[in-house]
Amino acid sequence: MNFAETDEQKELRKAVKALAESYGRDYMRAEAKAGKHADALWREAGRLGFLGVNLPEEFGGGGAGIYELSLVLEELSAAGCPLLMMVVSPAICGTIIARYGTREQQEQWLPSIADGSKIMAFAITEPDAGSNSHQITTTGQADPEGGYILNGRKVFISGVDNADAIMVVGRTSSAEGYLRPALFIVPTDAPGLQWQPIEMELNATERQFMVFLDDVKLPADAIVGGEDANLAQLFAGLNPERIMVAALSIGIGRYALARATSYMKERTVWGTPIGAHQGLAHPLAAAAIEIELARLMMQKAAWLVDSGDDRAAGEAANMAKYAAAEASVKAVDQSVHSLGGNGLTVEYGLGSLINVARVSRIAPVSREMILNFVAQQTLGLPRSY
Amino acid sequence: MKIVVLVKQVPDSGAERNLRAEDNTVDRASANNVINEMDEYAIEEALRLQEAHGGEVTVLTMGPQRATESIRKALSMGPDGAVHVVDDALSGTDALGTSKVLAKALERLNADVIICGAESTDARGQVLPHMLAERLGVAALTGARKLTVDGSQLTIERQTEEGYEVVTAATPAIVSVWDTINEPRYPSFKGIMAAKKKPVETLSIADLGVDAGEVGWAGAQTTVKEHTKRPPRSAGQKVTDSGEGGVALVDYLSSEKFV
Repeated sequence: MNFAETDEQKELRKAVKALAESYGRDYMRAEAKAGKHADALWREAGRLGFLGVNLPEEFGGGGAGIYELSLVLEELSAAGCPLLMMVVSPAICGTIIARYGTREQQEQWLPSIADGSKIMAFAITEPDAGSNSHQITTTGQADPEGGYILNGRKVFISGVDNADAIMVVGRTSSAEGYLRPALFIVPTDAPGLQWQPIEMELNATERQFMVFLDDVKLPADAIVGGEDANLAQLFAGLNPERIMVAALSIGIGRYALARATSYMKERTVWGTPIGAHQGLAHPLAAAAIEIELARLMMQKAAWLVDSGDDRAAGEAANMAKYAAAEASVKAVDQSVHSLGGNGLTVEYGLGSLINVARVSRIAPVSREMILNFVAQQTLGLPRSY
Repeated sequence: MKIVVLVKQVPDSGAERNLRAEDNTVDRASANNVINEMDEYAIEEALRLQEAHGGEVTVLTMGPQRATESIRKALSMGPDGAVHVVDDALSGTDALGTSKVLAKALERLNADVIICGAESTDARGQVLPHMLAERLGVAALTGARKLTVDGSQLTIERQTEEGYEVVTAATPAIVSVWDTINEPRYPSFKGIMAAKKKPVETLSIADLGVDAGEVGWAGAQTTVKEHTKRPPRSAGQKVTDSGEGGVALVDYLSSEKFV
């Protein structure tokens, strides 16, 4: 067992940190406020190969793994620049296409996902199928003229307005009415595809959408991996998703702790910096411990994914997502509190993170669903539903 | 075009730096050692020349074993290879001795253009480019904020306090650059991964035909006799504002001839 990162991983951390710090929290906040998508940072990170470190070299990626990709998102977030679409485009969609896509799909999508020139969104959640992906109703009916006609509705889909395509989780229905799970790649300019923003109380460069699929005609090769695809493909993308959400949460937690730490060294009352007061120092230290513990779990999960052990990775990725979200919410909360009134000013840049940190407690799978998973799968307790 | 970039490893100027009590040299053991900031601009300029005119870029470093970290970092930005002059006998070498060693190494490399930072953040002497030009018998284009190449003709804008001077020379020449010249690139992931596979030639002073007596403590023409920490800033003069604070400030400024 070895917890030391390689020289290359350390250099990657430094390079991503330097890039992200040249943009910083103020840039992200201004972009979000203007309804923009942090495109300049996204494109530069893509050009430097940071967005596609996990994808195969053969298709323009870096040939490394989810460990390296999560490291990139952690460092971006720790500099105040969480790029949420990294969770979706290279981590979920990129992983699935690299592992299960046809050669044509890999050649068409992976190079541009890797260099960030194209973004693929991911649509799983439905109004009547939140956490239960087995009850998905979006269906591609076999088209007598060939291909599929896709109908369905999706909610809380990130970044659709800035994406080139959406990977839609649905089912196919044969002429005989036989249903089987399938992942459809739907270009965002496909006729019959529409979306509406959901107004959120979030300072983010990605917006959330309701997506409507009304008789969207798709060619037969729109299904990832072709006709014989199965649900294993979907799960190949969900472990990286949870790990990346953990990375984003941990990065935000680190960002908040750093802001609070620097404030607590400078701000002086009664002749001492407030950081010397244990009423503030101890809760911040505890938050730092929890962030580091969650980070270890995230790294273990990423290591398991990269070693090919999907089953073990599933448990670790869920635990990491849970731990990271909890640690991040606490770290942000305590950091805001450490700054007193300044914690909620725009100038100090922490207040807007309160809601951002909470997102990971709910998405992509809620805290309670992870507890259910651990109760049943890890502890072997009976199901409640 | 054959381009050589001089890269020096220095203690991070963003952190506390110290001289060692026993020999007045830079304490490298306790410092976070990084590439001299100005050298990153030199690397960037070399890579831009290469992209525009072809050829190859070689990094040249003189320094202890641990300087390999900085060499790898430099290579991750894109240069093709590096030469590392490393020798225990070099400990204590002054600027004159350093220029002697680097000049010998440069003679082997046969560069058309040698690019370096205008100064290092540790010594800040700004003398090395001139010494190298003298030893090699090539032109010195120093303090550049802009460099253009037309065939074998190099033109720089030399940054001065008042503006800039246009200076030209034919290759081979040495160009030293300020941080106004460009914006250094970040290493890409491919660059980081490729860096460990790039050739790094290590040379001793014997390889360069330099005698141990000409360098190190024995060969140094200059010595640092003593050093002291910069004194903390004095308290200054406090003006208590009881309605006349503005007047007191103006009185002070005019007494110091600021207004």
